[in-house]
Amino acid sequence: MKHLIHLKINGEPYEVSVKSNLTLLDLLRDEIGLTGTKKGCDTGQCGACTVVLNGRTINSCLVLAVDANGKEVSTIEGLAKDGKLHPLQEAFIQEGAVQCGYCTSGMILSAKALLDENLTPKEEEVKKAIAGNLCRCTGYVRIVKAILDVAKRLGG
Amino acid sequence: MAEYSTVGKPIPRLDGLEKVTGQAIYGDDLKFPNMLYGKALRSECAHAKILNIKIDKAGRLPGVRAVVTGKDTPFLGGEALMDYPFLAIDKVRYVGEPIAAVAAIDEEVAEEAIDLIEVEYEPLPALLDPQKAMEPSAPLIHERMNTYKHLPVIKPIENSNICHYIQFIKGDVEKGWDGSDLLFEDTFTTQMVQHGAIEPHMAIAQVDPAGKITVWVTNDSPHRLRMDLSNAMGIPLKRLRVISPPYIGGNFGGKGGLKVETICIPLALRVNHRPVKMVLTREEVFTASLVRHPSIVQLKTGVKKDGRIWAREAKVIYDTGAYAEKGPTVCQQACVAAVGPYKIPNVKVDGYCVYTNKPIAGAYRGYGIPQVAWAHESQMDIIAQKLGMDPVEIRMKNVVGEGDISPTGQQKLHSVGLKECIKKVAESVDWNRPKEKYRGKGMACAFKNTKTPTGSSAIVIVSQDGSVEVLTSTVEIGQGSKTILAQMVAEELGVPVENVIMVTPDTDITPFDASTTSSRSTFHMGNAVRRAAKDAREQLFLIASEILGEDSEDLAIEKGLIFSKKNPGKKLTITQVIKHEYQAGLDIIGKDSFYPIAEGETGGMWSAPSIFWMYGAHYAEVEVDIETGRVKILKISGAHDVGKAINPSTCQGQIEGGMVHGIGPTLFEEMIIGERGEVVNPSFLDYRMPAAPDIPEITSLIVEAPHREGPWGAKGIGEMTVVPMAPAIANAIDDAVGVRIKDLPITPDKILKALKEKLVRK
Amino acid sequence: MLSKLRPFKYLEPSTLPEAISLLDQFEGKAKILAGGTDLIIQMKQRKLTPEYVINLKNIPELDYIKYDGKDLRIGPLVTHSSVANSPIIKENFGLLVEAVIAVGGVQTRNRGTVAGNLCNASPSADTPPALIALGAKLKVLSSEGERILNVENFFTGPFATVLKRKEILAEIQIPHLPPYSGGAYLCLPKITAVDETLVGVGAFIAVDSEKVCTQARIGLGSVAPTPIRALKTEEFLRGKRIENGLFEKAGEIAADESSPRSREEYRREMVKVFVKRALGEAFRKIDLNVL
Repeated sequence: MKHLIHLKINGEPYEVSVKSNLTLLDLLRDEIGLTGTKKGCDTGQCGACTVVLNGRTINSCLVLAVDANGKEVSTIEGLAKDGKLHPLQEAFIQEGAVQCGYCTSGMILSAKALLDENLTPKEEEVKKAIAGNLCRCTGYVRIVKAILDVAKRLGG
Repeated sequence: MAEYSTVGKPIPRLDGLEKVTGQAIYGDDLKFPNMLYGKALRSECAHAKILNIKIDKAGRLPGVRAVVTGKDTPFLGGEALMDYPFLAIDKVRYVGEPIAAVAAIDEEVAEEAIDLIEVEYEPLPALLDPQKAMEPSAPLIHERMNTYKHLPVIKPIENSNICHYIQFIKGDVEKGWDGSDLLFEDTFTTQMVQHGAIEPHMAIAQVDPAGKITVWVTNDSPHRLRMDLSNAMGIPLKRLRVISPPYIGGNFGGKGGLKVETICIPLALRVNHRPVKMVLTREEVFTASLVRHPSIVQLKTGVKKDGRIWAREAKVIYDTGAYAEKGPTVCQQACVAAVGPYKIPNVKVDGYCVYTNKPIAGAYRGYGIPQVAWAHESQMDIIAQKLGMDPVEIRMKNVVGEGDISPTGQQKLHSVGLKECIKKVAESVDWNRPKEKYRGKGMACAFKNTKTPTGSSAIVIVSQDGSVEVLTSTVEIGQGSKTILAQMVAEELGVPVENVIMVTPDTDITPFDASTTSSRSTFHMGNAVRRAAKDAREQLFLIASEILGEDSEDLAIEKGLIFSKKNPGKKLTITQVIKHEYQAGLDIIGKDSFYPIAEGETGGMWSAPSIFWMYGAHYAEVEVDIETGRVKILKISGAHDVGKAINPSTCQGQIEGGMVHGIGPTLFEEMIIGERGEVVNPSFLDYRMPAAPDIPEITSLIVEAPHREGPWGAKGIGEMTVVPMAPAIANAIDDAVGVRIKDLPITPDKILKALKEKLVRK
Repeated sequence: MLSKLRPFKYLEPSTLPEAISLLDQFEGKAKILAGGTDLIIQMKQRKLTPEYVINLKNIPELDYIKYDGKDLRIGPLVTHSSVANSPIIKENFGLLVEAVIAVGGVQTRNRGTVAGNLCNASPSADTPPALIALGAKLKVLSSEGERILNVENFFTGPFATVLKRKEILAEIQIPHLPPYSGGAYLCLPKITAVDETLVGVGAFIAVDSEKVCTQARIGLGSVAPTPIRALKTEEFLRGKRIENGLFEKAGEIAADESSPRSREEYRREMVKVFVKRALGEAFRKIDLNVL
C-alpha cells in the first residue's frame, strides 16, 4: 500500500510516494539521498539518526515516513546556510569534537535543540541534552566544551 | 625544542568539515546501480551438526537472485589459525553463526527468503566455560584443529580446545618465592564486552566479467583482508580488490578480519556481476561480529619487605569463542605484557587461548592487555596496602626505565616515559590531600606493545601545480590518521598541509600496509610517508639545483617554495621546478617502505620483541554511595607517553576517548550469555555504554619520550588509552570504602554485597 | 530477531469516533500509533505484527493539557516533553514532571506519549508509580462507551493491561491535591545514569498541623510484574507522626510488598532505600510551606 506524502526537508518541498512500512530514516537516506543522517541501531537507542521534525529532535528510525506528511524535517545537511557553517559546526571542528564522525550529525542537531531553548546551560544540562546520542570515540569531553563555548558566544 | 611548521601543532582535523556537514561518505552510504541486498540465516544452536538445509522455497521467492550455503563456500580463513568457514560447513559452533545467505532485490524480500530456509540440527553439548573447555574430557569444538594451517608462532595443543599456548620464563620463580618476604595470590576475571562502534559492519561485493572480485568494506586493513581472502579462497591476489569507504565510523578492532564480505562474495559470484550489499543489524554486530576476550588471570607475586617485586607468575586464560580469529595473537601479545611494566628478576607466564561455543572474540582496543593490566594493577594496590606503602611510591620503585630488560626478558627497552606518566598524573591531581569519607583515589599504570615486524609502504605524488597526493592503505577509522599523515608529509616535503590529499585506500592503487591496528600507523606509516616525501623532495631538489646552480644539500623548501639557504631571496615554485624538467608534463613520484625489526631474542614473527612500547598511567577519584553501592566517578586523569605528539589535539582526543571507553567495561558493560549460549542483551537498550551524563571531570596529559626510530620520535597511542582505567577505578573504590572487587564489571550489587559482608565480619 | 518493518495497512482517522470505529472494525488486527517509540521497536523485533496501524496524530484535539484550577486532564497525544515543559504541571503536579524527565533521552521524550507509555505497560516505566502516587484515574473509550479506572488497576502483567482490543486510553485524570501535601518521584537507574529504571518510587504524603500523616500514596515501579501500589506501607504511614526512623521503617515494609524477578536481593534493598528517600523528599516539600 503506497501513500503520496508532501513534506518539507531542509526548507525544500518534496512529494514522494512511500510504502507504509518505510521509516523516515530510510526515506531520507535511500529515497531522498540525504545520507548525512546515520543508522546506528535502528531502534532509537544511539541517536545517530536524530533529525528535527516540526521543531523537535526525534529518532527518525522510529518515525514512519507517512507520519511526516505535512511536516517539516531538518537534517544536518540543512544546517549550514548559504555555505556558512552554524557556530556549532565550526566549534566541533575547532575544538576537536569530531573523531569518526558517525555520531556527529545527530549530536550537532541535539546540541542545537538545546541552544535554541537555552543559551545559558549548565554543564550537567548539556550532558543531559545529548544523553540520547552515543559516542564511542571522543568521550564527550570536547563535544560538551564545544557546546558550552558556542552558548557563551551566542549570548549567554 | 625544535619548531616545526605543522608537526607538533594541534591543527583542526582535515576531515572535520565533511563530517560536521553530513558530507562524509561511510560504507552504508554507498549505493550502486543494480544493487542486490544480502541477508544471512544464523544458527540458533551454540553447538550442533547440520543435518539438512532446505533452500528451495527461498530460492523460488520472487525477487531472490541467489541462495548459498556452506557447500558453496568450502573455504577456511583466518590470519592466526585458518579455522573460519565463510558459511558453516557441517556444523555450527555458536549462536549467530551464518549458515546460509540470500541475495534479493531488496532487504524485505531477503528477510522473507531467510524465513523460508529450513535447517535440521543435531545438537551437541555446548561448552560455555573456558575452564571446562580446557578439561581433557571436554568434547572438541574443532575436531580437525590439528589439520588447520597456522602462523609459526601459534602453538595449538593437539586434540584439545586450546588453539594457542605460550609460555615465557625468565629467572626461576620457585627460587623467587623462597627469596620473597611476602606472597600474594589472586584471581581476576573480565567479562565479554562489545566494541560499540556506532557504525555497523557492511560490505558490498561485485565480480566483474573477468572474474575479478571487488569488495567495498568497513575493514581496518584492506591489504590484510585481500591476503586473507586470497589464502582462504585459494585465488591469486590480482583477482581481488579491496576498497575502503572514505571513512569508517569507529573500529576499536571490531572491523578487522573476515566479516561480512565472506557472505557477500559467494552471493556476488552467482548474480551476473550485480553488486551485493549487506549491512549488519545492530543485533548481528553484537552476536556475530567480534567481542573482547573474557579472561581469567591468576597472579602470584612475591615481594621483598621494601616493596620490590621479586617474582611473579601469571596464568592467563583467554576465552576466544567459536573461532580463533585474532585470539592466538591476542594471547601471545598480552602474555608478553602480563606481569606488568616492572623490573622483575623471576617471571613465568602461561597463556592459553581457548575455544568455547560463544561469540567470536578478537582484536579489541588493547589486544588482551586490558585484561592482564586489570590483574597486575589491582594486585599492586593489594600489595601496597599490605606493606603500608603509597601506591605511587611502590610503582615508582618497580617500573621499568630506559635501557631496562623487558619483564619477559626478550629485549632491552627504549623510549620509556612511564615514570614521567605516573609523576605527571599524580601532579595533575592533588594526590596527597587528606581522605574524605566514602571518597577514594586510585592509580594504575601499564604498557602495551605493537605487533612486530609489520610493514608499510607509501607513495607521494607531487603534481605540476604543487598539490600532493599521498597513497597509503592506512584507514581513517576516526583516530585522525588522515590528518597526521598529511601533517607528516607536509612537514617533510615542505608544503602547506592544505595542499596534501590523502587518497582513500584501494588495494589496486594504494600500496601494501599491514593494518590499521596495533597502534602502529603513526610509527610505521608515518615513517613510510616521511621517507616517501623525502624521496620526492630530493627529486625536486635535484632539478632545482640545476636551475639555481647550487648543490642539493644547500637547498631548502618552505610552504612549497624552494630556495638555496645561501641565497634565500630567489625562490622557485614546485610548478617552475617540474616544468623546467618536464615541459610537456609529468609528476614527481616519491616512494618508500618501512619494515622495522626489533632487536632482541625472537621466537619468530610476532613472538615477543616489540619495535616500540607505549606507556600510560591513569588516576581515578570516586565517591561510593554506601546505601546503593553506586559509584560516582568524580574525576579521572590520564598521562600517556606517545614519543612525540604529531597533533596534540587528536592525541588528547584519543586519551579522553580511551579513558571514557575504559569506564564502560569497568562499571557498566557486560554481554550476558544465556543457558543456550545466546547473547541475552544484544542491543544498546540492555547493553549500556557510557553516555554524556556518565562522564566525570577529565584531564588528558601528553608525555614525550622520543623513540629514535619514530617519525619525529613518535610512537603510538590509540589502544593504550583504555588499558589502565579499570584497575584505577577499582583501586579508588577500595580506597574509598575498603571493598576489593576482582571480577569485572564492578556493579553496585557487588559493592553492596561486599560492604554488607564487611559489616558482618566486623 | 531485528528486521525491517513488515508491510501493514496505514490508517489516519481525523476524529476520535472514527478512530474508535476503526478499532472496532479491525478488532485484534490493529494497533494504535501515537508516538511510536514503543510500537515501532516492537514491530522491528517482530514481537508485534499488526495488519493495521491506526495513527492518532491527525486528531490534534487529542493533544491537550487542561487544568481548571483543581483537576488536571491530559489527552492521549501529550508527549513526555510536553508534560516536562508545562508550567501548569510543573507548578501544581511537579511529581509527574520528575517522572517524565527520567524517561529516556530527549528524542524519546519528544515523541513518546504518556498514554502510549502506559498502554505499553513496561514493568519498569517511570510515569505509573508517579501517577499512582498522584491518585490518577484513566478514562478508557470504546464503541460501547466509557469507563474510568484507578491507574494502579490498569496493569495486569508485564506489557499487559486491562484494555480490550477495541478500547483506547482516552484521558489521564489527576484530581487536585490537598493542602499541606508533597510528592516526589525518585528512581535508581539500571546501569548508566540515564537508563531504564531499576527501582522507581512515586511518593505522596499529606499531613496535618501536627505533622501527622493524613494521606499516603506510594507507587512502586520495576519491582513487580506490574507497577504496584504499596498499600501496606501506606496503611503503616497513615495516622503516624513524621519523625526520625519512620520513613526507614516504611521502606522495609515496602520492600516486603515488592516481588522483583531479577537482581532480587539488590532490588529489595533499593526499595528500602528509595522509599525512604522519596518519602523524605516528599515531606521536605511540605516543610517549605509553613504549616
